[in-house]
Amino acid sequence: MSAALMEQRPQVLARAVQGDAESFSRLIEPLLDPAYRLAAVMLADRGAAEDAVQEASIKAWRKIRQLRGDTASLRSWFLSIVANECRMSRRTRWWSVIKLSDMREPETPATETYTDLHRALLKLSPDERLPLVLHFYLDLPLDEVARTLRVSTSAAKSRIYRAAKRLRGDLTMEEVF
Amino acid sequence: MSPNDDFRRELNNVFDDVSGAPSPALSDRVRAAVTQAPEARGPYMIAAVAAVLITALIVGVLFVANPLRRTPGLVGGNPSPTPSASQSPSTQPSPSASPSATPLPQFICSADTLTNPNPTHLPTAYISAVRPASHATEGFDRMVVDFSNGIPDAGVELKPQSGTKFVTDPKGDTVTLKGTNGLDVVIRGADMHTSYSGSKDMVLGYTTLAEVRQVGDFEGTVNLALGINGPPCFRAFYLTGPDRLVIDVQKAS
Repeated sequence: MSAALMEQRPQVLARAVQGDAESFSRLIEPLLDPAYRLAAVMLADRGAAEDAVQEASIKAWRKIRQLRGDTASLRSWFLSIVANECRMSRRTRWWSVIKLSDMREPETPATETYTDLHRALLKLSPDERLPLVLHFYLDLPLDEVARTLRVSTSAAKSRIYRAAKRLRGDLTMEEVF
Repeated sequence: MSPNDDFRRELNNVFDDVSGAPSPALSDRVRAAVTQAPEARGPYMIAAVAAVLITALIVGVLFVANPLRRTPGLVGGNPSPTPSASQSPSTQPSPSASPSATPLPQFICSADTLTNPNPTHLPTAYISAVRPASHATEGFDRMVVDFSNGIPDAGVELKPQSGTKFVTDPKGDTVTLKGTNGLDVVIRGADMHTSYSGSKDMVLGYTTLAEVRQVGDFEGTVNLALGINGPPCFRAFYLTGPDRLVIDVQKAS
């Protein structure tokens, strides 16, 4: 996020709250990349991840007043909406109609080329992958991970450690944090 | 390099493999979706308006039909459906009868007995409140006796008297109330100690109703004594929803 935008964020947020869609788009633009990465890992489906980010952006736009001008919470707030959208998308996918255009070849390589860690990651549920993405991949500080998960910091730490242990059983707490 | 760094690096490689980079069009796609989002609010707005209309319709139907409103018990005449009095002695008049309501019974100055028109074989009716109120501008003062569990099956005797001396039951003491005349209200099949926690002697100072005092609460019979300024003329009737006995004492002309 550019320094200029960081400085202007309160004003941009205020304009977004007043209904300026362009300001809102500007505000979340730097968050789209981490949001997409989070969704892609949770869903293990790149196309669905982009759809989820788009839907989450619309929801965030409609709920922007909930932020109450707190720009410091913008990232965790937006990522938590994205994570929710991923859960929703998984819940609704079983009954939705599959369009012919969606019936494409898998984008990911065959599982035989996966490393053990890759396979272990895909065995985790999306909710187990979420704290790992936030902590290791997006490099969020623990308190922000906690805000995104909407749990306490200690609970967030415990979720990260539990999920990491499922990837590699011999990990110690010191190796994770 | 620490084991932590190894794990982190290897895991991030896996994350990179799984997610890849977002398509360059994602940003434009989101921007377009957000810009068009206000239009997408349409269905929500329509749903909200529809919900408000449906709620208003239901409230309207319930207000007109009101399945919870029961027909007032008509005892000793045809009462209005909604008179009531304040919780404590008050000079504020309670709501008067609506113009479209059935006429109230006539005031009488002789002894009368009310009976429950819809007996429910209730062993004991519990008095939960006694609420006097001034309706001086309407020509009477009112006392409302609330029952918490239903109207008593046995009758209510109303006995006007000269003077304000009453004998307590069961003790037999004589007590003198404020006012010039009295009305002894004997409520059978009731008690005033199970649900009642209010005052048992209310000196009111209203134009007509001077004092209300409990002079008996024994073996299922409650005696309420009313001290009245002027002739002890009254009308009495039951109302339901909530169950209550209403006694209006007529102002001296």
